[in-house]
Amino acid sequence: MPETITAARPAAGAGERPRLARAAPLVVALLAAGALWLAPLGLDTFAVNVLTRSMIYAVLAVTVDLLWGFAGILTFGQAAFFGIGAYATAMLLTAKGGAPPWMLAAAALAVAAPVLLGLAVGWLSFYHRSTALYASVISLVVPIVVTQAIYSGGERTGSSSGLVGFDVLPLEIEGYFRLAGLLLVAVTLAAWILVRSDAGRLLVALRDNEARCAYLGLNPRRLQIGLTAVLAGVAGLAGFVFANASGVVAPENAGFLFGTELVIWVALGGRGTLIGPVLGTIAIDYLAANLSGDLPFLWQLLLGTAFVAIIILLPGGLADLARRAWGLVPHRRSPASVPRLRADPSRAAARTDGPLLAVQGLAKSYGSLTVLENIDLTVRAGELVSLVGPNGAGKTTLMRCLSDGTEPFRGAIAVGGVPTAGLTPNRIVALGVGRKFQVASVFESLSIADCLRLARASRAGLSPLARAETLGLPQAVLDILRMTGLDAQLAAPARLLSHGQKQALELAMVVALEPRLILLDEPTAGLTKAERTTIGTVLKGLTADLGIAVVLVEHDLDFVREISSRIVVLHQGRLVLDGTVDEVVGSALVRTIYAGGAHG
Amino acid sequence: MLLLLDILTTAAILFVVAIGLLAVFGVLKIINFAHGAWLTIGAYCAVVAARLGLNPWAALPLAFAVGAALGGLAELFIIRPLYRRPLDAILATWGLGIVVGQLITLAFGRDVQLTPNLLSGTVEVLGTGYSAYRLVALLAALVIGAAFALVIERTRLGLSARAVIMNETLARGLGLDTARVRLVVFMIGAGLAALAGVLLTPLTSVDPTMGVGWLIGAFMLVMVADASFLALAAACLVFGAAQVLVSTFVSPVLGSIAVAVLAALVLRISPKGFSRA
Repeated sequence: MPETITAARPAAGAGERPRLARAAPLVVALLAAGALWLAPLGLDTFAVNVLTRSMIYAVLAVTVDLLWGFAGILTFGQAAFFGIGAYATAMLLTAKGGAPPWMLAAAALAVAAPVLLGLAVGWLSFYHRSTALYASVISLVVPIVVTQAIYSGGERTGSSSGLVGFDVLPLEIEGYFRLAGLLLVAVTLAAWILVRSDAGRLLVALRDNEARCAYLGLNPRRLQIGLTAVLAGVAGLAGFVFANASGVVAPENAGFLFGTELVIWVALGGRGTLIGPVLGTIAIDYLAANLSGDLPFLWQLLLGTAFVAIIILLPGGLADLARRAWGLVPHRRSPASVPRLRADPSRAAARTDGPLLAVQGLAKSYGSLTVLENIDLTVRAGELVSLVGPNGAGKTTLMRCLSDGTEPFRGAIAVGGVPTAGLTPNRIVALGVGRKFQVASVFESLSIADCLRLARASRAGLSPLARAETLGLPQAVLDILRMTGLDAQLAAPARLLSHGQKQALELAMVVALEPRLILLDEPTAGLTKAERTTIGTVLKGLTADLGIAVVLVEHDLDFVREISSRIVVLHQGRLVLDGTVDEVVGSALVRTIYAGGAHG
Repeated sequence: MLLLLDILTTAAILFVVAIGLLAVFGVLKIINFAHGAWLTIGAYCAVVAARLGLNPWAALPLAFAVGAALGGLAELFIIRPLYRRPLDAILATWGLGIVVGQLITLAFGRDVQLTPNLLSGTVEVLGTGYSAYRLVALLAALVIGAAFALVIERTRLGLSARAVIMNETLARGLGLDTARVRLVVFMIGAGLAALAGVLLTPLTSVDPTMGVGWLIGAFMLVMVADASFLALAAACLVFGAAQVLVSTFVSPVLGSIAVAVLAALVLRISPKGFSRA
């Protein structure tokens, strides 16, 4: 688990209903486990055998759903981790026999080997600026490589015929059914609790907007790698149970085709719902076992057609259909729970005497096109520096260089005396820099409260077990929320907000980081006059009362004149003026630049 | 010398197989996982042509026409709704591949089909006999590559396609019917895939799942080439060479995964792949 997640803090005075809601997963899990324990009594041998396999596959479907449905990582690689777990088990048991110590060792190896490979695959798949497509590409390559490794393993892996006849757990087929059932219930319950918790919001946040996660000081890379490794271990454990229950492992268990089948089951069941993929997998695999004997090609044809249709017409899968049907039934909807807002004591900002931001000789070019040239700039605590200049002057590029040390640039940038060259955005955030983008960058599918909670996650942590009932925010953030009316709609999803509200939400998220320096790229673009005034008031308060430094890119000279303590003029990549408001606004140079015609 | 010929012909075959996928990825920005199924369709066109008693070479235009026509239908009904969901498009086209594979199985059975040789025998190259057909494949790759380059550089369609590749929104704003460009390019890509399927028949067994094995290699090459036609040729040469060398000197099993592994590593180091050079 990522280290930003800390243990849950029990909230005092939890109401009756939340407590019930919190117990719901446990109750459902207990009922499901009980039913599965009794089920073999009423099923014939064939059904017990098939359903054992189906439930093991359903465990894999849960891991695929967490990765793809929640975290947005489309993966075909879970089959490889499953296969490695199964093969590790089979190979060890073949070599050493099934005495209890070796059985334990096999289980440990079946988890450890996939976790290690998962770490390697994660490292390969996720890096600063990696794309979702690349991760999918790697997840395709992994099962292919693993399968080929099995083929070339000779005696030890049984090559193309697989391994059979190794010692297995001393269980009857009912016992395996119950083992698989308990594993499925346990994994699904853990996943369910995770996705309902605050930490579960982080998975969705990664899917929605990875860049914003990084600019909230969270390390998306580490989260994705950690998730990949942990779920690889779960898949390996499923492989261990599979090898025992079936008594045979084959290269197909690790193959790319099996990986695509898992994705198909999850898509049909309904990605991002957990229960959909579980039921979908069990139903499809069970049906397949019953039908494919009689109509093998027709069954595949039907499944393929259904898959294409679902992807195009019903991306939410069958679970979405069920949810819509349920929505038609009149029933009492419980209101979405909203955390209580609470003011966190603001940290006493360490007042540094030196400049907070020091830029020396910064230059950047794309090929032969020079965008920034020889920029020198210092910003001290409490200053509000506005960066003005015509379009194409290099303002946004400058902001990008300031907030992302991996941008290739020449010269030096230091925040609080620490050079930022080579630092990824999340590490620059840790130095106390918050960045607001030109186009509001929030988590579209999360509620306002969740967006704000994630903004606090790098400081307060996120519970992987439950939803906290209070949300502690700095007073400045509470003020922004009150002034913009966002505090009255904390449960609303961010995608429903107006343009101006989204800008305000993003500003609130950035301020919630309690940064020492805030970079704002055109925060007032497209806002109404009233909204602009509000933002201006907020910014003045931040600099005057809290001593936060602000660097602001802005076109609206009237707005700039009202709030700035200093104005810097960029023109054609060079810094042509740096002075007080009166000096700059009164200068002839600025007038010629904005009127056009100046080239100096 | 033989090794060099092996490398060149292997690269040529990879190029022929991947070019259709590249066209689709470049213009539509989606990965057509049904590409393997279209290779299979092409190969079965050769089977049908043989049953009808046609000249084996007649299968080439037949496959192109059939592939393009079916590709057009696929674009209209499956690809078009998914333009904004590229990862879903991968899945839907994969599902389409399953459907096509099962339909072919229903029609022809799952057994390996025999196709007439397009060209048999060997030719003397510097004193050693070399498969004549592999040399033909090399020639075919050059012809297809040249034709592709001509279309891209010299025709109105090529110009439109390049405009869509660079900036689709702008292209649409300038009055270009980008939906039509996408349709036509997808049809050409599908047609080229089917054409490649015919060209593969002498080299590989023809069965309903033959395309899957080729799909991954082609997919990795296209990822590395990043929609650049010349980069694809370079990637085919480099990875084809790696495949031949690893297969010859290390082990055929490793050779078969050389393309995928090397391409993944290249992408990790340089996300733009070969197109940067």
